[in-house]
Amino acid sequence: MSKKVSTGAISAPRSILSAAVLVGTIGLGSAPGLAADELNALVWCDHTDPALIQPFEEKYGVKVNLKEYEGTGTALSIVEQSQPGDWDVFVVDGVDVPRVVAAGILAELPAGELPIDDVFDQVQMKDVTMVDGKMYAIMEKFGYNVVGYDKSKVDPADMRDLSTLWGDKYKGKIAVYDYYIPLMDLTALYLGMKPSDISTETLPQIKEALFQLKDNAAMVGEVVSSTTALATGEASVLLGGGEWAVGVMQDDNPNLEWVLPDQGGILWSQAIGVFEGSEKKDLALKFVQYIMSPEGQARLATSSCFWGMPANSKAGDVMTDDQKTRLLWDEQEAFLAKSHRYYIPDAELDGQMLDVWTEFLQR
Amino acid sequence: MIANSRIRQAYGFAAPAVLWTAAFFLVPLAIMALYSIWQRVGMSLKTVPTLANYIAFVEKSFFLKGLLNSLEVTFTVTILSILLAYPLAWILAEKVPARWQRIALLAAVLPFWTSYVVRSYSWLLVLSDGGVISNFLMQTGLTQESISLANSRTATVIGFVHFFVMLLTLTIYANLVQLPKSYIKAAQDLGAGPIRTFIHVVLPLTLPGIMVGAFLTFVLCIGDYITPQILGGNKELLLPQTLMLQIQRRADFPMASAIAMILMAVVTLAYAACSRWLKLERA
Amino acid sequence: MKLRPANILSVLYAAALYGFIFLPVVVLVLFSFQESRIPVPPFDGPSLRWYAAMFADSRMMEALGNSLLVATLSSLVSLTLGFLAAYGLARHKPPGTGALRLVLTAPMTVSYLIIAMGLLITFNHLGIPRSLLTIGIGHVVINLPLCFAILYSQMGDHQANIERAARDLGASEVQVILLVALPMLWPACFAAFFLAFTFSWDEFIIALLVSRFDVTLPVEIWNMLRSGLNPQTNAVGSFVFLISFVFVIVLDVIVFGRRRVKGESAK
Repeated sequence: MSKKVSTGAISAPRSILSAAVLVGTIGLGSAPGLAADELNALVWCDHTDPALIQPFEEKYGVKVNLKEYEGTGTALSIVEQSQPGDWDVFVVDGVDVPRVVAAGILAELPAGELPIDDVFDQVQMKDVTMVDGKMYAIMEKFGYNVVGYDKSKVDPADMRDLSTLWGDKYKGKIAVYDYYIPLMDLTALYLGMKPSDISTETLPQIKEALFQLKDNAAMVGEVVSSTTALATGEASVLLGGGEWAVGVMQDDNPNLEWVLPDQGGILWSQAIGVFEGSEKKDLALKFVQYIMSPEGQARLATSSCFWGMPANSKAGDVMTDDQKTRLLWDEQEAFLAKSHRYYIPDAELDGQMLDVWTEFLQR
Repeated sequence: MIANSRIRQAYGFAAPAVLWTAAFFLVPLAIMALYSIWQRVGMSLKTVPTLANYIAFVEKSFFLKGLLNSLEVTFTVTILSILLAYPLAWILAEKVPARWQRIALLAAVLPFWTSYVVRSYSWLLVLSDGGVISNFLMQTGLTQESISLANSRTATVIGFVHFFVMLLTLTIYANLVQLPKSYIKAAQDLGAGPIRTFIHVVLPLTLPGIMVGAFLTFVLCIGDYITPQILGGNKELLLPQTLMLQIQRRADFPMASAIAMILMAVVTLAYAACSRWLKLERA
Repeated sequence: MKLRPANILSVLYAAALYGFIFLPVVVLVLFSFQESRIPVPPFDGPSLRWYAAMFADSRMMEALGNSLLVATLSSLVSLTLGFLAAYGLARHKPPGTGALRLVLTAPMTVSYLIIAMGLLITFNHLGIPRSLLTIGIGHVVINLPLCFAILYSQMGDHQANIERAARDLGASEVQVILLVALPMLWPACFAAFFLAFTFSWDEFIIALLVSRFDVTLPVEIWNMLRSGLNPQTNAVGSFVFLISFVFVIVLDVIVFGRRRVKGESAK
């Protein structure tokens, strides 16, 4: 008797169990992500605004899956943790395009099918988007990592000089944007260096200045937490801020402004490209074309996550005067002339810079 | 014969759970341990065994500092939570009429039914300069200038204590209500005052409740990333934050694994210290 | 309770601590009705603007659905596996029970972050794509020990006697489980499922590390926090709070209400 009972007893729960697992697998597996008409994009958070994405989804009857990240290091780590074919569209820091191209991640773009000539001259950056005469990405948005502030709490004239932020006047009132590249570049400007002067030799100087800055800082935060600190009054100044941090908040706090200091500013730029491993390159290209169209550009420029200048100058025709005022549209030429691009170190220096940044956070 | 098939049956029943735990817990831990002695060089993984990551942990000041910060915060939180929770648990068990106790406990748990991420964020709104506390103090004239508690270790500790006071209140309360009243009565009959009764009778008998709660607090607190990340203002990073930096900014899995192994060692030590109170008993 | 100093002190202390416990939630809910974009004083509502924004946010609603799905299925799997293991070990006490118990409860003594790291590296190493399924697997890892421990502790000897009686009367093992053991243990099963569901519903770090596009609610809230400060976060938090609150009350009425009626009729 016992033998018969035992086999039945074991197999019955097992089949219940496997049924449960099976149901689970089917239920979980059939979730979105497998259908043919979907596009997977790895983006900065400004691309997640439904006002930007929905018109494209409706026009082509597709779904755009978005994964947001901050910082190229993070993006590369996500790509590395993925399988080939997982991703279709990549939005990446302009200056990091060569690094990404070298890793073989991006596919060549048909230059003739994109409005490259409408892009502001100084932001075309063909030296980074083109390798051996082939175009791998196109600039879509840019802006500045400079100084954002609340004019009811600080003297706007002070904001034109970086050294006041290292002084005692605004101690404990400064928020620092948590992105090591532009912040170290700004620190270099404060020290009278160019961002490209950062090296293993000058790094100790940068580190010392950063640590002084930390003593003045109320907090160090990513896009939202630093913007929040500025908007809620937690901080009066956001070092590394700019139109991207201020534009979206001005409706609710008209006291927020930004300025490019006399020492110069750091130019941020985003480029968009298509993954080499993508199995939907045509649809991905259509998405890039949409983002680069004047309408797409206007929506991207005023995205609910952060604002920025549209790379395509034609976007100015479809943007309101108020939007352009907030972006300081008319001053772009002067700003661009005084700005430096993100300095991109080699892998070894990059590692050292990240270590310094972690130490900076840890203080 | 019958005994043998019984045993086989029992193993059969336990097998799915054991296999699941082995496949998705023990094996991953082993793989992680293996990764921790590999190394990330540039963009690739070097699979030659090395202690480089552990050496880096000791040599790079921000890692050791992270461990130290974590231990400080965790001990502070655990002790503060016990000190705050014990009186509340005692009031609930002794002073509140029995039929209201369940309602009171339910009310204590209620705020934790909102999402855990949101809870940390709402503390940010409460503590920030221009936030609720600062505003209240200014309007009542208690302070002239706005104050900020957010973005600091204090904020992290407040966020943690908020959750763990509730947790410890529950475990200590559960212990207190099981306490036979006759023990206390006996102590008093023998001439012990309230303080001596508490120290020699009540406290030892509620120690299991305290230790279970303290261990839970320790483990949950030292491994938490969200609370310090939202409330800590990126200052004085805790160990989980340094670990996440390795994953998110560098994709340095070997280094992250080494940190995780160290974290696990710390938790294991805590477990060993509390283990005699954590036995799984059958009713 | 008499008005003695000790009692007054007790009331004050309890009030202060309850105030501390409730403070952030009250603030959260209040500023979910904020009109402007910045959820700090002065309060300029009430407005339902951010609730409208939340319901219009398709990613948020998808995440809500994903959370429900993952929590339900992972809790069911945890409960099933936990029940079987507890039954096998508590009833038949095979040799090595102690060691198996140790293995089964081990995940409880490790931080979620470590479990998440292990799974991330393993899935990555083996090239298993991350999805809701991988989140679910992780949640079973954390909830299985919980379900096992609860059920194992509830399997007392008097129940074993009843089961033995059923077996002696010719019931098969399946019948014993389904018709005898399960009904006797249903409150414990219920509690275990409920707890597992809650932990899965609110779990963040595993869901963050082993997910890709399909994320659960806590991860989506985290994304939202990182992509724009506004009272929509408050609205989502308040909404989750409301759902849980109703859930707990209903549950309380069903479970404890029945017991109360029983207790009274027994008198």
